[in-house]
Amino acid sequence: MSLAVVGVNHRTAPLEVRERFAHAAREVPASLERVLAAGAGGGVLLSTCNRTEFYLAEPGEEAPDAVWAILSERLGDGRSASAYGYFRRDRDAVRHLYRVSAGLESMILGESQIQGQVREAWEMSKSLAGPVLHRLFQSALLVGARVRSETGLAMGAASAASAAVAVAGKIFHQLAGRSALVLGAGDMAELAATCLASEGVRVTMVANRTYERAQAVAEELGARALTLDQAWEHFATADIVLSSTAAPHAVVTWERVAAAIERRGRRPLCILDVAVPRDVEPAVGRLENVFLYDIDDLQTVAAQATAERRKEIPAAEHIVTEEVDRFWTWYGGLAVVPVLKEFRGRLDQVRAQELERALKRLAHLAPEDRAQIEQFSHALLNKFLHQPTIALKQAAHVGRGYGLLEALKRLFGLEQRDGE
Amino acid sequence: MVLLAHLLALGLYGLATALALAPYAGLRPPPRGLTLAVPLVGIVCHVVGVAQLTLIGVAPALSMLALFLMLLQVVSERVFRAGAVGVFTGPLATGLVSLAVLIGLAPGAAAAGRSAWSVLHITVSILGLAMLALAFIAAALYLLQFRELKAKRFGQVFRLFPPLERLDRLNHVALMIAFPTVTLGVLLGYGVRYAGGVPVDAAQVVWGTLTWMVLGWAVSVRVVRHWAGRRAAFASIAGFAAVLLVYLALKLAEPGTQRFL
Repeated sequence: MSLAVVGVNHRTAPLEVRERFAHAAREVPASLERVLAAGAGGGVLLSTCNRTEFYLAEPGEEAPDAVWAILSERLGDGRSASAYGYFRRDRDAVRHLYRVSAGLESMILGESQIQGQVREAWEMSKSLAGPVLHRLFQSALLVGARVRSETGLAMGAASAASAAVAVAGKIFHQLAGRSALVLGAGDMAELAATCLASEGVRVTMVANRTYERAQAVAEELGARALTLDQAWEHFATADIVLSSTAAPHAVVTWERVAAAIERRGRRPLCILDVAVPRDVEPAVGRLENVFLYDIDDLQTVAAQATAERRKEIPAAEHIVTEEVDRFWTWYGGLAVVPVLKEFRGRLDQVRAQELERALKRLAHLAPEDRAQIEQFSHALLNKFLHQPTIALKQAAHVGRGYGLLEALKRLFGLEQRDGE
Repeated sequence: MVLLAHLLALGLYGLATALALAPYAGLRPPPRGLTLAVPLVGIVCHVVGVAQLTLIGVAPALSMLALFLMLLQVVSERVFRAGAVGVFTGPLATGLVSLAVLIGLAPGAAAAGRSAWSVLHITVSILGLAMLALAFIAAALYLLQFRELKAKRFGQVFRLFPPLERLDRLNHVALMIAFPTVTLGVLLGYGVRYAGGVPVDAAQVVWGTLTWMVLGWAVSVRVVRHWAGRRAAFASIAGFAAVLLVYLALKLAEPGTQRFL
């Protein structure tokens, strides 16, 4: 019995490679079935924009090669995916998943989205996972929850998009129900708008230089499309303005919006300018009750939160180690019973064969004497097996059973049968 | 017993202050339950002590003001999630109780002449004053957070202070409750003087009336002229400063700890 993880992540592969490995939900079963057919007792595929990882229970020799073959096919041009990846076994594989779930392996340290992605991966692969991986993924979710509640690893806003939410959250009593005007229809605007919407902010208007593009994004966000020229007057009503146009110069100028902002009275306006070059003239930020932040400001907030989160890494690692030990104790105990059973069976087989051979040579013995000899063979075997059995059970109880089991399998040739 | 209860309260207020200040020293914020429980236990001890005081002189007034400030700290934390209020109220209450203990609480002294109306007048007036202090604290927090947000400084104040709108609302609510409370306190004071025939110094009348007028102005600019945010915060701070300075001036004119004014 063993566990393994085979995969790639943002540390080992660039984005252009990772995006080729990413699996859509409908592609997961086929890839997993292919790996399982190559020799594995169960599998879960975790595929996000930052990682594609196959978690395997009882993987045979061919299983990792099957994973690399699948990924290499996606890579194309005859390139080998294994050059971008890693392979971890047993405790290291368990530790890896726990670190992933806790956000310790994430690009943005401590981010919580990965917790949901681990859950989704587990649920999507449930029919192919098998009991050990079920237990492993359940415990990984608990580890993630423990790390987030018992340490400060998830504190603060560690990405520019979440920093935008954090900054707006320091101005308004609550973000839910606030209205947002989005200027520009690029990816960054859409990402930050989605982040705000997840906090309950209503994206009511999307304005863009080209109306058609504004309409497309507005439809996705359930908002009204405007041209940029129509947007200025809405500075009087929106609570948050999110700007990310591709304009080469400032489009939100004091002249364009000052009159509308004047009509707001004392109500604060939060302007988040995530465009490079900046969309909003700095003079706009000097208006009373206007709070203007550009991408550098948001990245400063994110960097500070990341620095704070880094301080929490030792505490998070401590929880991970504790939980790896707990899982391994369970797993070691799980493995002991069948191996002991097989070990005993194998030796009993030898005992029976040798007894039969000896009794053939001792055909003159009375039935009572033959029975005595057979009883002696049983007693001798039990005596020999007693100490190893106790030692294995004790080792399993304290989480060190797996090493002893491996040794036993090698010493008594159980490994070949295990692999059959 | 009065001293022991005050000393216990003092210790717990000191601990509550340390808990409130801990995150600003770079320590992990304590659990919210603890930041509520410690001042609450202190308040219980304090109530036991204050219940045995005779409300004569400066020390009992300071003690009662500290009690109300801690109560308002707990309410602000519980209702407005404005734990940062404790950064002001904690040290202030700890200092006031310390000062009261140093001046001498003199339990039971000169109990004669204090009717229930008089006790009610003092209690309600000091509660109104504590509310005015809370409005001042919320305004100060608002201005600090406003400055940090405008200056794009994302340090401890940005992370630990509540959002601007919440602080503005806390200031508004504190003023709106303070005004009728002080009005009732002033009316009870006049009642005690004219209907009850209890002699009251002119300084007390002047200060009480001034406090009521300042509060009335602070409330009117919010309600009638719709001031909010920074301007309203400045108004609260100016009002509280006026009340405090006039008290100090009147006290300097006739010093002594045996009389409140």
